[in-house]
Amino acid sequence: MRDLKHLIYFEDLLQEAHNELVRKGKEDGNLALGYTCYFMPEVLLDLPGCFSVRLRAPRCVSPDMATYYMSGRTCHYGRSLFERALEGGFNFLDAQLATETCTVTCRFQEHLKAMPEVINNMNFKVEFSDVPFKKNENSIDHYEKQLKAHVLDFLKNNYGVDTSDETLLKTIEEHNEMCRIIREIGDFRKLDEPTITGYEFAVINLVSMTCPKYLIMDKLKETLEELKTREPDQRKTYRCKVVLAGSENDDPEFTKLIESCGALVVCDRYCYGAVEARVPIEIREGETPLRAIARHYLLTSQCTRFMEQEEMRHRKKFIAELAKEYKADGIIVASNKFCEYWSYERMIDTIVLPRDYGYPVCSIEKEYINSASGQLRTRFQAFVESIEIKKLQEASK
Amino acid sequence: MKKALKILAKIAAIGGAVYAALFAVFYFDLDGKAIFKFVEPTLVKHYDNMPRRDPLTRPYGEEPTNE
Amino acid sequence: MKKPDWNKLKEKLKKTDPKKLARDFLYGKPHGERRLGDLYEPKTGLYKHREWRGVKDTFYYFNNIWLYNYGMMVADIMKYGGLVTFAKGVWRYRWVGQSYLPVMHWFDRGLEGVRGEALRASAWHYRAMVNQTIEQFMRMFCADQNIGGSKALYDQTIAHDETVWGGVFYPYRDQLDDIPLQMIPYFVTCHVNNHTVLNYIDATQSLGLPGDPCPMCQAECGLMILDDEPDFYPAFITTNEACDGSVATSVIQDWMINKPLYAMPQPMQFDDPLVQEHCAKEIEGAFRFIEEQMGVEFHWSELVKHVEEQNELQRFEWEKWDVAANTSYYPITGTAQALYRIYQSQRGNRKIWHDTDKRVRKILEKCVEQKIDTFPLTRHRVIAWSCAPLYYSHWCTWAYNCWGLNCIINMDSLMFDMTIRTDTYDNMLLDFARYHEWAPMRRMAVGGLKHIFELWENMEKFHCDMVMMYDQLQCKGMQGVHGLFEDEFRARDIHAIWMPHALPDKRTVSREEIRRIINDYMFTVMQEEPLDPSLLEFDDSKSW
Repeated sequence: MRDLKHLIYFEDLLQEAHNELVRKGKEDGNLALGYTCYFMPEVLLDLPGCFSVRLRAPRCVSPDMATYYMSGRTCHYGRSLFERALEGGFNFLDAQLATETCTVTCRFQEHLKAMPEVINNMNFKVEFSDVPFKKNENSIDHYEKQLKAHVLDFLKNNYGVDTSDETLLKTIEEHNEMCRIIREIGDFRKLDEPTITGYEFAVINLVSMTCPKYLIMDKLKETLEELKTREPDQRKTYRCKVVLAGSENDDPEFTKLIESCGALVVCDRYCYGAVEARVPIEIREGETPLRAIARHYLLTSQCTRFMEQEEMRHRKKFIAELAKEYKADGIIVASNKFCEYWSYERMIDTIVLPRDYGYPVCSIEKEYINSASGQLRTRFQAFVESIEIKKLQEASK
Repeated sequence: MKKALKILAKIAAIGGAVYAALFAVFYFDLDGKAIFKFVEPTLVKHYDNMPRRDPLTRPYGEEPTNE
Repeated sequence: MKKPDWNKLKEKLKKTDPKKLARDFLYGKPHGERRLGDLYEPKTGLYKHREWRGVKDTFYYFNNIWLYNYGMMVADIMKYGGLVTFAKGVWRYRWVGQSYLPVMHWFDRGLEGVRGEALRASAWHYRAMVNQTIEQFMRMFCADQNIGGSKALYDQTIAHDETVWGGVFYPYRDQLDDIPLQMIPYFVTCHVNNHTVLNYIDATQSLGLPGDPCPMCQAECGLMILDDEPDFYPAFITTNEACDGSVATSVIQDWMINKPLYAMPQPMQFDDPLVQEHCAKEIEGAFRFIEEQMGVEFHWSELVKHVEEQNELQRFEWEKWDVAANTSYYPITGTAQALYRIYQSQRGNRKIWHDTDKRVRKILEKCVEQKIDTFPLTRHRVIAWSCAPLYYSHWCTWAYNCWGLNCIINMDSLMFDMTIRTDTYDNMLLDFARYHEWAPMRRMAVGGLKHIFELWENMEKFHCDMVMMYDQLQCKGMQGVHGLFEDEFRARDIHAIWMPHALPDKRTVSREEIRRIINDYMFTVMQEEPLDPSLLEFDDSKSW
């Protein structure tokens, strides 16, 4: 396929959190607001005068200082973020909008609160919101209250951000525009012969989360236009299609590794790459914009921390349905080492998805930055081969 | 009277002997030793060989089926 | 046959001081002269003979602890369902078979070297825990459909995760009983016989779970996976207490149990006043679930009765803490304090706790009135923080006997630190929410940082000069604040011993390794000599 015009530019933007566009956003007088989780609605951090940055620590392979604080037995992602903070890589942040949605990212954010000197910015503050574990009305009420107090009021009282309903509505519109573009780009993955690779999509999607949106929108639109006329390769460059599900993953190289083994990643269902994360926010009749945001983020999330019985059971089906929608042949479930949510979820997915939904599953435990790529490559190659054998067997029947 | 006393003495003697025996069991940890060396290994063997429900066959629908 | 060496024997007799011998016989060897380690058989931890504690204490132990408790164990079984049901349960479930019989060894380990009033008060705590354990597993067996239990009882028994506080069921106590799913099969068995739980951990990992998640959650899952959980309830309630692992475990439990489930989560940011209403509503949701599933009614008077009784227990606990904090007359060992408190407060109001507290109050008052120094060779007053190793909760007894480290209080004792209002329904509900949020581990270990560092004020309050810092290697919450503690220990010049462990799994860090770590610290940092050198090193790898 023809190379995407802006891909190298996008890749460059992902080399560090404090990238060219983040710098530009700050120079324009905006507040840089950090967050780590889908449960901190990105749209609220993109209000006028602010921009959201979903924190990453690219190329952090040895978080030694953070390991002193958080030990070597916690999630590499949380530690890497703290390492980057200790190195001064997040000094551009004006505030961290925190959630206690998984233990180690919470601990990272608590460290920022306990040691504010780590972020060399006089304005820097950390504010935590409580996120419910269920999707019922009580949870939506609660979540709405939390977002009001700990995001909107926090931004208004500390930084003078305009948080009126009119502004919120406008921000939702802009956010929805971004979602529409990313989803349209993602829809090319549903084609029989997809015209975008999983790696390219991961890069584009990540850029949309880590750069000020107003500075990246044009290039994303241009990429969408480019994709509309992009032709698939004459000769198939992949051997099967897979859905990639699992825990936190902001490393497009991981997707590249999978694809280099012959499995085209056609859909993502992991933190930082969930397909449902780019569903536009719908405001229902009689709803305030904040209520709509609270409902939207709670109901769309497929996070493994939801505890209602029907939710726990439904999310396996959700992955299987994605595989069907995107015409995938198999599912790769990858969890970060020390991620407790996904260790269990991966275990059950590995059993239930093949048994009840007929999808072969490759179950992987990985690091935040994947230095052990040789071992992973072997696993992926074997998985691709097993899918091919399955296809041959089915064809011969 | 004498007979009654004899019976009482017998009961006391038996009681005393039982008490002494129990004290010996206690003091020399004979209860612990018996459980450790005989009872527990027998039970463990039984538990290890018990037929158990296969967890992989447990149904997992959208609703609990109480099976 | 080897001839006796008469000269050697004569020499020994010459050296023997008959007065001392008589004193040791009458009163037992004083601390400092004892060699408790010589009593163990290698590896198994069985005794060559049990400890001679002097005439009075030895016969107290024999009559009032050993004989009495064996007798009561039989009596309790008869009272709660009978021998046949018990035998069926033992034959069916590993956790009861392997851990019921060695119970007296659990007493032995927890009461080693303990004398006088401390022996008496601590043993009553153990007795209460045994009673509650029997009551619970007998209820399970009586209603267990796997072994032909009563269907009527099954319909009147609701199950819940062991981290759901038993008080949630107070309004229905006159109509049903609540039994925690894992408290007996998992939590209690780890203390009594630490081999059993390994089967459950292995079972979970055999399905593909990595080794690093919290082993407690792994073991709880393993019970279901290994089909070793009685089927005694039509519905169950779970919660997110205390951590990500606990939430994730619910997924597997739900799969294996396959019955109606209600999740009653606790808010994470529980200091935020805004979260209380949400939490209270979730508890109300649990009430509705119980009523719908079990066909029972909410009885306010029943709830008030139990809450008021529970408040009484709490008030006595505060009195105990007061004595522990401000005197040297506290007659309860660190192990008994920790286990009884967590058991009692988690299980909720039960008659046995009141009976026990009555007895303990008498002893406590006697100690205070007569100024009885219950642990006279205390060198350091220790506070234990974070989550404890379940397979070595009796390290406190060892540490006192060997080094004079007296564990005064521990973190889990300090949770649930409140009484509950019953003046109005709304107040009760808000207090239920708060109580629920202050559960073990949630409040401190994985709650907000502020609560984790309540250590400093509690050190002051309990006049402790040393910290036993439990280092649960697989607890992400506590591992995630390791460095902050190190920094604070240094800044405050506090002696802290990090005790690595893996909660129920002795294979990760053995008891022997734990002792070695403490020994090293005491020799090299504290520059102290042991009170009983025979306890420094011994192999108890096969012990219960």
